[in-house]
Amino acid sequence: MLQFRPAPALVGWLADTGVFALLLTTALAVTERPAGPQPRLRFNRDIRPILSENCFLCHGPDKNNRKAKLRLDVREVALERKAFVPGHPERSELIRRIYTTNVDDVMPRPESHRHLTAEQKQTLKDWIAAGAQYEPHWAYIQPTRPPIPPVKDRKWVRDPIDAFVLNRLEARGIAPSPEADPRTLLRRLSLDLTGLPPTVQETEAFVRHPGGHAYEREVDRLLRSPHFGERMAVPWLDLVRFADTVGYHGDQNINVFPYRDYVIHAFNRNEPFSQFTVDQLAGDLLPHPTTEQVVATGFNRLNMVTREGGAQPKEYLAKYAADRVRTVSTTWLGSTMACCECHDHKFDPFSTKDFYSLEAFFADIKEWGVYQDYGYTPNPDLKGWSNDHPFPPEIVVDSPYLHHRRARFQKQIDDLMLSASAALRGHGPQRDAFRSWSDSSAEFLRRWPSGWATPAPIVTLQNKDTNKPVAGDFVVEADGRVVLTGAGADRTRLTLKPPTGWLAAIRLELLPDARHHNRILRGKGQSTYVTLSAGLQPADGAKEKPIGFYFADADQKDERYSNGYAILGVTDAWKTSRQNLDRPQTAVWLLDPPVRVKPGDVLAVALGRSDAGCVRISVSPFGAEHPLDCGGGKLLRPTLAKSPTLLSPGERQRMDTTYLLSTAWNRDAFDRYKELDAQERECRGGKSPTVVTVAWKPRVIRILPRGNWQINTGEIVPPAVPHFLPQIPDPDGHRLTRLDLAHWLVARDNPLTARTIMNRLWKEYFGAGICATVEDLGSQGDWPSHPELLDWLAVEFMDSDWNIKHMVKLMVMSSTYRQSSNPRPELREIDPANRLLACQSPRRLEAEFVRDNALFIAGLLNPAIGGPSVFPYQPAGYYANLQFPDRDYSPDLDDQQYRRGVYIHWQRTFLQPMLANFDAPSREECVAARNVSNTPQQALTLLNDPTFVEASRVFAARVLAAKCKSDAARLNLVYEKALDRPVQPKERTSLEQFLTWQREHYQAHPEEAKQLMHDGLAPEPKHADEPELAAWTQVCRVVLNLHEAITRY
Amino acid sequence: MNDYKSCFDPEQFQTNVNRRTFLGRAAYGLGGLALAWMLNPPKLLANATIPASGPWRGVVNPTHFPVRARRVIHLCMAGGPSHLESFDHKPKLEALNGKPFPDSFTKGQQLAQLQNTKLIALGPFCQFRRWGKSGQEISALFPNIGGIADDICIVRSMHTEQINHDPAHAFMNTGTRIKGRPSMGSWWLYGLGADTQDLPGFVVLTSKGQSGVQPVSARQWSSGFLPSRFDGIAFQSKGDAVHYVGNPAGVCQSTQRQVVEEIKRLNGMLADERIDPAIETRISQYEMAFRMQTSVPELTDFAKEPQHILDLYGVKHPGDGSFASNCLMARRLAERGVRFIQLYHRAWDHHNDIDRDMPVAAKDVDQASAALIQDLKQRGMLDDTLVIWGGEFGRTPMGQGSGRDHHILAFSVWMAGGGSKGGTTWGNTDELGYHYLADGQDMDVHDLHATMLYLCGIDHTRLTFHTQGRDFRLTDVAGRVIHGIVA
Repeated sequence: MLQFRPAPALVGWLADTGVFALLLTTALAVTERPAGPQPRLRFNRDIRPILSENCFLCHGPDKNNRKAKLRLDVREVALERKAFVPGHPERSELIRRIYTTNVDDVMPRPESHRHLTAEQKQTLKDWIAAGAQYEPHWAYIQPTRPPIPPVKDRKWVRDPIDAFVLNRLEARGIAPSPEADPRTLLRRLSLDLTGLPPTVQETEAFVRHPGGHAYEREVDRLLRSPHFGERMAVPWLDLVRFADTVGYHGDQNINVFPYRDYVIHAFNRNEPFSQFTVDQLAGDLLPHPTTEQVVATGFNRLNMVTREGGAQPKEYLAKYAADRVRTVSTTWLGSTMACCECHDHKFDPFSTKDFYSLEAFFADIKEWGVYQDYGYTPNPDLKGWSNDHPFPPEIVVDSPYLHHRRARFQKQIDDLMLSASAALRGHGPQRDAFRSWSDSSAEFLRRWPSGWATPAPIVTLQNKDTNKPVAGDFVVEADGRVVLTGAGADRTRLTLKPPTGWLAAIRLELLPDARHHNRILRGKGQSTYVTLSAGLQPADGAKEKPIGFYFADADQKDERYSNGYAILGVTDAWKTSRQNLDRPQTAVWLLDPPVRVKPGDVLAVALGRSDAGCVRISVSPFGAEHPLDCGGGKLLRPTLAKSPTLLSPGERQRMDTTYLLSTAWNRDAFDRYKELDAQERECRGGKSPTVVTVAWKPRVIRILPRGNWQINTGEIVPPAVPHFLPQIPDPDGHRLTRLDLAHWLVARDNPLTARTIMNRLWKEYFGAGICATVEDLGSQGDWPSHPELLDWLAVEFMDSDWNIKHMVKLMVMSSTYRQSSNPRPELREIDPANRLLACQSPRRLEAEFVRDNALFIAGLLNPAIGGPSVFPYQPAGYYANLQFPDRDYSPDLDDQQYRRGVYIHWQRTFLQPMLANFDAPSREECVAARNVSNTPQQALTLLNDPTFVEASRVFAARVLAAKCKSDAARLNLVYEKALDRPVQPKERTSLEQFLTWQREHYQAHPEEAKQLMHDGLAPEPKHADEPELAAWTQVCRVVLNLHEAITRY
Repeated sequence: MNDYKSCFDPEQFQTNVNRRTFLGRAAYGLGGLALAWMLNPPKLLANATIPASGPWRGVVNPTHFPVRARRVIHLCMAGGPSHLESFDHKPKLEALNGKPFPDSFTKGQQLAQLQNTKLIALGPFCQFRRWGKSGQEISALFPNIGGIADDICIVRSMHTEQINHDPAHAFMNTGTRIKGRPSMGSWWLYGLGADTQDLPGFVVLTSKGQSGVQPVSARQWSSGFLPSRFDGIAFQSKGDAVHYVGNPAGVCQSTQRQVVEEIKRLNGMLADERIDPAIETRISQYEMAFRMQTSVPELTDFAKEPQHILDLYGVKHPGDGSFASNCLMARRLAERGVRFIQLYHRAWDHHNDIDRDMPVAAKDVDQASAALIQDLKQRGMLDDTLVIWGGEFGRTPMGQGSGRDHHILAFSVWMAGGGSKGGTTWGNTDELGYHYLADGQDMDVHDLHATMLYLCGIDHTRLTFHTQGRDFRLTDVAGRVIHGIVA
């Protein structure tokens, strides 16, 4: 086996930064060689650029363009074709050709218009004299910390980043740009670190005192902001292809938001990137992992999956495995391994075997090719699974957001009860009614101590279509039990006479019976669906009035699912539990609203067809928050027995709640209670399922020839890292695990990971990576603009224990970052892509931040952190092409509507149109860099999407509510809020004219003004001057549509 | 934490690579990077040559070949119609109906829902007859298409690689099973641009049948790694045809115009201060957006379509999202210079009750498909409009109970106009319609793409986009122009 030797020459290279600067001065046409010993030449740094620029066109990799069968990019071929003789420039054809004056022989060919300087010729000569050594690709050499290069303008250098940048600029004779003005700078910083603009107050404070440590204080403040994690999460979620749906075919929901919360939280608490890596790839394999570490392993479950009928599990397992390799190689290694699924890489040293060996690390993940049990592809693990089921394995975790939200609703319920019940404490008819209810309740409990009455039922079996009775056997027992002994019917109808007074809850018990082998079900079934409906037949013979239910639940039940979510309660159907079939199971339905039973009224309860063997219906006058607490005799009796003045606050609230839910005496309060209760319930006890990695016996991974999963003869490969990179020590020959892989990715001698991460981080603050192809540091990737800077950052990152915030701070504190982004005409020719960083690069905001920004400016943004995905407005019918199950879209109708974009429900096959229009990826594949487009769809979105129209009108209302003396002052306020700067006179003039037109129009068309007030949920301000508000809404629409509003300068 | 036993030796590595290069396995050595950069400037720069807005005349300009088709209308029969009941008549299969399907045909082949089952032949449930002067065989389910038999070229030897709907659509659209690649329509726009500045150049419409319905994803019309200006725009059947194309309530067209003008004016002031092409682009995109706000309603307003045209297509309620209405819309889009129009009709996944459900699906598309050809023809547009009709795959000659399973080794498509050879049947399958015959007339998806591009004047090997370190094509590394179907 080969032994690793740190490339000694590299050390020399990095030490010789003076020469480095020299090399970069080629444009300055240095004619005289500096005195002193010649530094050692390096192929990548000194030679490759010369050959590449002047020779490779005809003598490089492109075989179609190659002349004389000579290629100079491969040493062996160059030697074979006798291009040079190492150590002997005088005998080298290459040297002869570049020095000759013979026009037929000279290289480069005159017609190529390429020209070698005397210095370049000498360099080539020296290189051959020194042995003409080649070097492997830069990214595969372990980075070492280069020394800080010297610069002339030392005042400009705030941290080492600046030295590397300025060193190159000075070598080209280019001065850096001046620092951006404080307004621009703070807006830039705020958008870059949190994805949100500064407030007007923050801007003003900074503009007043921008000196000293003010900027650093802002940096620290923003790094501490909980929104930092949200902003950092966006590119990370693109990489790991985080989405709320599975992507293939039916594109069903998958429960995974706790993973997103984990990512946000990890960035906020500045988790070392090494730990961040280990937790996601292999948290489950750690000894005693925390819940969060297990949640992090959701990473391994973020690939697209299918449950399509007819899909072949093996084919899809191959797809999932390949997807993981692509994701890991792009995210951590900055390498494009995709092509190795079918053949060895054409440009980089990755082999097909490397691809499948990397796959093998993930072979232990518990998963299925097809997440359903079909006859043609049986999957006993998922028996009974439907399109609505979740995608196991999952664990249930606490969600701080949901807990908080739940507590909020509980508080609102408490407040509601306090205010609604005030009337009960006074001296009025309501108090009297309450007392009378208390008396009759006590009376009821004396007779039926449990709070439930079980009147004797009369039973009929019916056909559901004709309502006609059908034959069937049953027995009614004295205790109210109805034993269904026959085949059953569409409908079992029980009529009974409830006690007079209130009826607030109906209870159904399924009871074991000897005639059914002491089981609750007839036949051999394990579970049955029970549905219940009811009506009240008035004694006067009037038509039966249907009874509504707002919620029902059972003490035991099997879960039912709707597109991945467990359905709450059993209101529409109760799937009985397959456990404890020999014991009673009970469900309770809450009436909406409770009804008053008069003497002689008959309650009719209808049960749909089921396998229930023995049923009993009871009724209660007592409602409760939780159905199973109804009746509540034990709790209520002592309370009712007490004098109202002696009740504890808790007892009093229970009484008040019971009274409200039993009688709906205050209908508004009752309805509001139901609403809040439903919202509280939707918080699911503050818990959520989330997909995680569970390890099981590793699948056998074979190399698939040409990627063909049907070929079963490829070599079996154990887990292994790419063969040409430093290897994982394997002293005991155990099978390598995901944990080994994770540790290897963040090992000190891995040459790729730190560079890859730093390169991408750089892009977030400077617009482009140091290596512009952030997804590919391989040989087909871009040549880094500042390779030593990238290495310095990579080493600093590792030395800082993979400290992300430290690196972010270094970058944004630099003078390089703080430069103005005003383009410099003189640089357009020299450096059109701003690779030398002589100024900042403007950047259009990412899709999520375009939205956040508008909501923030309008004052609508809900800044809550974490939690389930949210559903903003979306054009109707957009999911019409989705099936299995069919999809409907209901936008959030509360404060969730105004959550940040990072939380938007990510439907892979039909991404929310606003996000899609602003280049958010569908997250089907790992994406390292988003497209940045500029399309008419973006214009239409900002102009007409209800989110932006609503933001404009709410923004306008805010501006109108502010104390301003004039339109001019108001326009200035609009600009301050939206663009963090004052309006300029010519802008103001133009907008004043525009405002005048809009006023005239809306004063003439007040009905249009009224219409404009109703786009979106936000209420129209009270007593609004509608035409005026409409006119200002138009102004705000204009401003929120400006290029400047969606750009960070 | 250097606790790894490493075996990385840069020089050895170089030698290995060179040896491999020597052996001709790797085309490029390590020195490739710098050169690649020279030959193919970094992506940032390469894409910068494609303007984000304004007229785009295509990278293939002038075209490589004479242009036969100026535009393409793809009628995608999503779900995979049975070739055995449409365009591929197999009397022998009829004879074998109900009998075991010969093992010799199916051994070792990939199946979908018929995995692990006993394979029984299912004969076609409907009759075939010969139509027109050309005497092409078409089933009785498609009498109107029969009526245009002399205008269409039927290809019976199609085959594909992907057996499930979602990847199969991707393969038909992008020529690969790998996600993130551009769809056909995007390649067309990239290659040729569009003849309209007021409408998107690549438009997608969807409709839904009464059974055999399968989902279809927006990724099918994605521009993948091409710039997003080449994305397909899906018209919605409900609400605004194009997302956000309608003004907010309370904003009439004239005030919207004022808003757009004011945005442009203020953006112009910014542009005066900053040299930033992105601002200029933004300004022109607002102009384009506003034009779309005008042109889309005009486009979707069918009021001027005379009754006899509605009747020709069988449109009952114009704009109702039916396939017939979409066909009429396709003609209107074609008239207005849209380059690539794709209609998905989701109705053909007949795993069971095919004899009951396929006639319904056929009835829903037969008249309108034929009407589109006739209408284009009477307007003189058929000559330069290429219409393709077909699914993402075919269906098994083996029964799946009362239906047929997915099948990739044989299916039929037809094309009309745009330089295709009407009245021709091309390619064959074996006697049971199981496998295409490799008789030189077989046609895979890459061949179809290559031929479509050829008819549009493009050499499929020269329509490339450089990304991820190499040049990509719609036809990947394959594709043959099938000259036999060119008029």
